[in-house]
Amino acid sequence: MNKSRPIYAPFQFDPSGARHLLVTDQPDPPADLNTNVQTLTARTHTADAILAFLPPHLATQTTGLRLYAIGSEAFVWDVNAIALAAGMGAGEVHLTRAGPLIRRVYCTHCQTMADDVATTITQCPGCGATLEVRDHFSRHHRAFMGVQVDAEAPGEIPAPEGFRS
Amino acid sequence: MDLNLKPAETFRGNFSAQNSEAAIRRFPFPFPDDLYMYSVNMEPHERGGPTAAYDAIFDLDEHYLGECADRAQVLADDPKRCQVMPHLIDAEWDTLELLMESLATDYPAQFTLTRNGDAWHWINRPLALDQRFTFGDAASLPCPPFEYITRQVQGDFTLQDQRDNDLFIEGGMVTSQADWSLNFDAGMSFRQWHGPVPLAHEAGVFDRALAYLLRLQLGKPVRRLNWTLTVNPRLDTSPENYPKWGPDRTTVTPENVGHKLCLRVELQTLTRLPRSNGILFGIRCYLIRLEELVRVEKWARRLHRVLRDLHPDLAAYKGMPRYRPIIVDYLAAFDDGAPTSPGTGPD
Amino acid sequence: MRLRIAEITVLSPGIRKFTLEPLAGLLPAAGAGAHLVFDIPGATRVHKNAYSLIGGPQARTQYEIIVRRVEPSRGGSAWLHEHARIGDILEAKTPQNLFPLAHLAKKHLLLSAGIGITPFLAFARVMRTPFEWHHCSRAEDSAAFAALLPPGPQVTLHTSRNTLNLAAVLGTQPLGTHLYVCGPELFNETVQTMARALGWPESKIHTESFASAAGGAPFIVHLARSGQRLEVAADQTLLEAIEAAGIAAPYLCRGGACGACELPLLQGTPEHRDHVLSPEQRAANKSLMVCVSRARTPDLVLDF
Repeated sequence: MNKSRPIYAPFQFDPSGARHLLVTDQPDPPADLNTNVQTLTARTHTADAILAFLPPHLATQTTGLRLYAIGSEAFVWDVNAIALAAGMGAGEVHLTRAGPLIRRVYCTHCQTMADDVATTITQCPGCGATLEVRDHFSRHHRAFMGVQVDAEAPGEIPAPEGFRS
Repeated sequence: MDLNLKPAETFRGNFSAQNSEAAIRRFPFPFPDDLYMYSVNMEPHERGGPTAAYDAIFDLDEHYLGECADRAQVLADDPKRCQVMPHLIDAEWDTLELLMESLATDYPAQFTLTRNGDAWHWINRPLALDQRFTFGDAASLPCPPFEYITRQVQGDFTLQDQRDNDLFIEGGMVTSQADWSLNFDAGMSFRQWHGPVPLAHEAGVFDRALAYLLRLQLGKPVRRLNWTLTVNPRLDTSPENYPKWGPDRTTVTPENVGHKLCLRVELQTLTRLPRSNGILFGIRCYLIRLEELVRVEKWARRLHRVLRDLHPDLAAYKGMPRYRPIIVDYLAAFDDGAPTSPGTGPD
Repeated sequence: MRLRIAEITVLSPGIRKFTLEPLAGLLPAAGAGAHLVFDIPGATRVHKNAYSLIGGPQARTQYEIIVRRVEPSRGGSAWLHEHARIGDILEAKTPQNLFPLAHLAKKHLLLSAGIGITPFLAFARVMRTPFEWHHCSRAEDSAAFAALLPPGPQVTLHTSRNTLNLAAVLGTQPLGTHLYVCGPELFNETVQTMARALGWPESKIHTESFASAAGGAPFIVHLARSGQRLEVAADQTLLEAIEAAGIAAPYLCRGGACGACELPLLQGTPEHRDHVLSPEQRAANKSLMVCVSRARTPDLVLDF
């Protein structure tokens, strides 16, 4: 069902593109990668270095480029935001999540971001509220929605669970 | 059109807001049947309908001053309730033009718009505003054009950009919302911002609604109704302020339910905008206390049956689990089992 | 909506500009890319022709359109060229926009040919983003188009002496460029094929079909709900045949682009000419767009 939580496809080479750039926060690119694909991996670049490299690089590129990002959810959506700012759009950017099921969470009340959240109930590092991580994802904020779970009855907090998707 | 404005009442704090007898009779009751489920319930938005709430393109009522004051307070506390992405500047002017023209046409005693080319003169008598400005020049207004005009109209508004065969919510003035956040949802596609709604995705409601809206024509706006329940006549039930209004849900008792519990109805309008090709989504919120609503016998009977038989997923989504039995018991006393007449208007 | 012809300008033997004004009040605002559908009187019936508005969106006091006399004319453009006079009143529907500018574009690339110049004249008046415009013209029309094109280095008029190097233009556009194509069917196809080959994604390619609903072999349509049998003439569309019988059918663009006129099909095989139905939907043989589509079988039966 097409809701807000992203559904990721496994990495696939997009033959409609004329040039290809793949970035990943993982050590290795996908096996048997097409040799036309320029690749930046964690073996040679940190995630921050890749995110810093992209804006000036994309500013020099022409239409026809395909950009692939593979990695943590936070990383691939950071790449996506840079690509959108560079003018790329639907069909030009392909995202694949890799790594553990952790989420970045946006506190609706104080607008603080929490990275690497592993359970459905979490403490906001900004305002201290106990947040329920709703299954509602913003590509713009690159995060899931966090809302105070015990606002109606303080202390009424369900047991935290891991994420299943 | 007749418009008798009350002095500003409050929609927070002591909740002084009440509906007059006339306001009750014009309430846009949302249920055409005794059983409720989601549907693509959109129809052309033309002047005229089951109650007087449908007589204007953008309906104003006796609560105008209180609602404008409440909006101003929400914005003072949280400026992010109004935000428009820069690429929608044409849609801002489209909105200003549409709202000023509609209000001046429907309520000439309250609003006057005079134009000489791009030199415009707007008079809003209830809010004592007299503004000369240049259409298309944002610097000639005290704030951006979308914010300027939507501060003067009851109801929330969002702006949708149309691209890639989809609609993207990329602007809005949202201060009287039923538990959704413009700041969080900004930038989402049509199906994304409806993500939290249960059951409707699976029924294909959003696919069909989107296909319909993508073809929305200039000059042919459409409307639909939506509803939920709110404890106290509180306009701002935002996720941002959930800690402020969430505790109200624990205060409902059999003794106070008729006074505290409100049926909240949104008369939603969708209008294609000419310059931007965007869509303006108007979400006009009406609140009526149960003790007011039951004065219309047909509505009391029907609301009882709708809430008694509502799908549990929908009841949960609309925040009812804590007090659903209390409401149903209260309304049962007004339901003698007699059949209800067709349509949503009072008998 | 009734419009009075306020001015007729002859741009070339086959191309005229019409300025239209309201009988009273202001016209509805219309954005760049919008078109107007007119009722144009004909010898035997009313023709409905769609023309792009070339004015900017602020022009609520007048609309401007440019009309090429189509050979062989189905009647609408011929009437406008031969019979229309200043002061004549035309009936039109509210403008609609099936060819809007992309608000997120970093740059707009406009490629037009012939009378396909018209929507881009409106685009050029509202551009806030950098753009590049290449217009292709036959030699006999080039003077008329040269006079219409806005000045500036970003606009180039191409004729047989100065042909457009498509691969060079499409292969060097910065990321974030949106491509708009408007011209005869062959031109549109050529540009889109080249763009796709160079890696342009569909989300960045925008077209508005400018081909009129050209005729074809006559056929019979049966309307199952009213039991009517209608003949669709060679120079008539299925939608026009339904309207000529006094039946109101849904429509918007009359060009197979918007999908508003889709009607369910009970029997027969259509010749689909629209841009809406997917190959799978066409294969299902369950519906057709009556504004442009015709019949491969002698008869069609519609559930209408």
